[in-house]
Amino acid sequence: MSAVTATISEDVMKTVQAKPALRDEGAKLGFRLTLPAQILVLFIAVFPLLMQLYISLTDWSPLSGTGWWNAWSMWNNFANYTDLAVDARFWSALKRTAIVMIVCVPVEFLLGLALATLFADEFPGKRIFYSILLMPMMVVPAVAGYMFFMLFQSGGPVNDLLSAISGMPVTIAWLSDPTLALIAVMVADIWQWTPLMFLILLAGLVGVPEDQIKAATLLGANPWQRFVTIVLPKMKTIIIIALAIRVIENFKIFDTLYIMTGGGPGVATETISVYIYKLTTQDLIWGYVAAIALAILIVLSIAAVFAMKRMARAREVLA
Amino acid sequence: MSAIHLQNLVKKFGDFTALKTMDLAIADGEFMALLGPSGCGKSTTMNMIAGMEEPTSGKILFGQRDMEGVPMGRRGVGFVFQNYAIFTHMTVRQNLAYGPRMRGAAKAEIDRRVGAIAEMLQLTPLLDRKADRLSVNILQRVAIGRSAIMEPAIFLLDEPLSNVDAAFRAVMRTELKQLQRQFKQTMVYVTHDQLEAMTMADRIAVMDHGVLQQVGTPLEVYNNPANVFVARFIGSPGMNLLKGKPAESDRGLVVDLGPLGATPPLPVEIAAAVRGAQGDVLYGFRPEQAALVKRGQGLSLPVTFVERIGARTIVHLGQGETAVKAVFDNDVGLAIGQTAIVAPAEASVRVFDAATGLALRTG
Repeated sequence: MSAVTATISEDVMKTVQAKPALRDEGAKLGFRLTLPAQILVLFIAVFPLLMQLYISLTDWSPLSGTGWWNAWSMWNNFANYTDLAVDARFWSALKRTAIVMIVCVPVEFLLGLALATLFADEFPGKRIFYSILLMPMMVVPAVAGYMFFMLFQSGGPVNDLLSAISGMPVTIAWLSDPTLALIAVMVADIWQWTPLMFLILLAGLVGVPEDQIKAATLLGANPWQRFVTIVLPKMKTIIIIALAIRVIENFKIFDTLYIMTGGGPGVATETISVYIYKLTTQDLIWGYVAAIALAILIVLSIAAVFAMKRMARAREVLA
Repeated sequence: MSAIHLQNLVKKFGDFTALKTMDLAIADGEFMALLGPSGCGKSTTMNMIAGMEEPTSGKILFGQRDMEGVPMGRRGVGFVFQNYAIFTHMTVRQNLAYGPRMRGAAKAEIDRRVGAIAEMLQLTPLLDRKADRLSVNILQRVAIGRSAIMEPAIFLLDEPLSNVDAAFRAVMRTELKQLQRQFKQTMVYVTHDQLEAMTMADRIAVMDHGVLQQVGTPLEVYNNPANVFVARFIGSPGMNLLKGKPAESDRGLVVDLGPLGATPPLPVEIAAAVRGAQGDVLYGFRPEQAALVKRGQGLSLPVTFVERIGARTIVHLGQGETAVKAVFDNDVGLAIGQTAIVAPAEASVRVFDAATGLALRTG
């Protein structure tokens, strides 16, 4: 929505500078032309947000026997937010989500970058490997969840492989050990999302001006120096975009994980999304859920604004 | 130590031969222009000198040293790219310092060299500017400075002026030539623009279809083209070439141009060579060397077009096989439909073998 608004106001500014008499005319036309889109945005973004804000300030639940618009009768004076501040399960879920993100995103980034560097050059069978490499991304996350659920069974292929390598029977209970379960979940995420990172970074890598790389070579830079001084700086914008996409997506990690562990054992793999899901479908305390969701939205928005600013600056530098 | 010898150089890309057996000696400190239309092999030649491409066969020597297998970072060549390939994410200073920094020079040493080169190129006030917002002549200086700081024995320039608008090109040409005088390096300059080659180069190597056509000073190439290609390519407009048969007359050897009649007698030194030739010849003269003469003393042709280019006027005469261009002063009183009688200055006449395209001339 902000992008739409920004464009209009810019155009209005131009009109002001060009012909003051036409200013109102231009503004009116712009408003009329964007009105359908504005109304749509109002319904799909603004309305649900306001509704959520409203409910988050009450004790309303679908079991309350009254419509959500009557939730004001259960007004609780920010109690949901104060509860949230001391909800240990919420904070541990948040911490776990952060850990998954801090491990998965850099690993996906480095693997993706390494693969992209590899694929920037020609080698036999490149097209076939390329197709194979992109496949995980196409798999429905729920299916990927089942796949890794099977793989990590104590009698499953992962243990079989480890047995074959070590020469003795391995029966690790991956998904019922708190630490190992989290690792298994992260492996699945890395498997599924490294290809996206690879794809974005490859696009960035191919876009690095070849002349500048040649110029650096002629000036005596070795491959590593070229990578650090030319390639990486030129890819800055695309790297930030790739990281931002994965950070935001990873923060919402749910389907694969829920199918693999259901957040268990206990709450050992419970992330924010899983916690919210449970509160919504099992505990049915929707006022509290709304408060959590809003709090996270605010945190993510701040992060996004920060990333956007960095991006804008990077783009300015590279333009 | 910085002369360049190309010996039997051949480059093939699959079935396509980009360069057919090139032999060229470039002297130490010489400014050599490789001139030709696009696809003539000039850039390929330069890329091989720089080490960006490996020759299919043949040798490249820098002085006495064979460059085979020497990677491009170790050849000691400075290369100025068509678009300058400035590192836009760095400042001017970082661009200039790039080479020494990559070679691990000490900070004080880098600062000293950057300072010196910036002073020489008048870049000192711009050192801390981001390189992405510089005008094109500054970019050229940064590109040259970035290479010059490595003190290369050889400078290669790949059409550096082709992205510059016409008015600014003259400024850049002068600047470039002055820089070459300062650095005194061997320079190889690739261009398709004859004006650039003529104005800057000590010698020009004219190329076409992967074949070296002629090497010589700008005036040699202009005055005595070795073949029909060079005659047409050099000069603006190119040389007039009219097909005919040599014929003896009471005034000496002339060329019988068929419907146009006979030419004025050929100069003695050319006549001797033409007498020994077989078959048809091409009678050539520069449009700038044509003059209006009295009936019976020149070629009589209808005016088909009058092109005013400012300083001079180009008059197009005849059509097809007999098309001739002549450059006159602006006050020439010719209009479309009139008949003009033109003759070249005797000394400017050149004759080529129509079959081989080679110039006919003794000595």
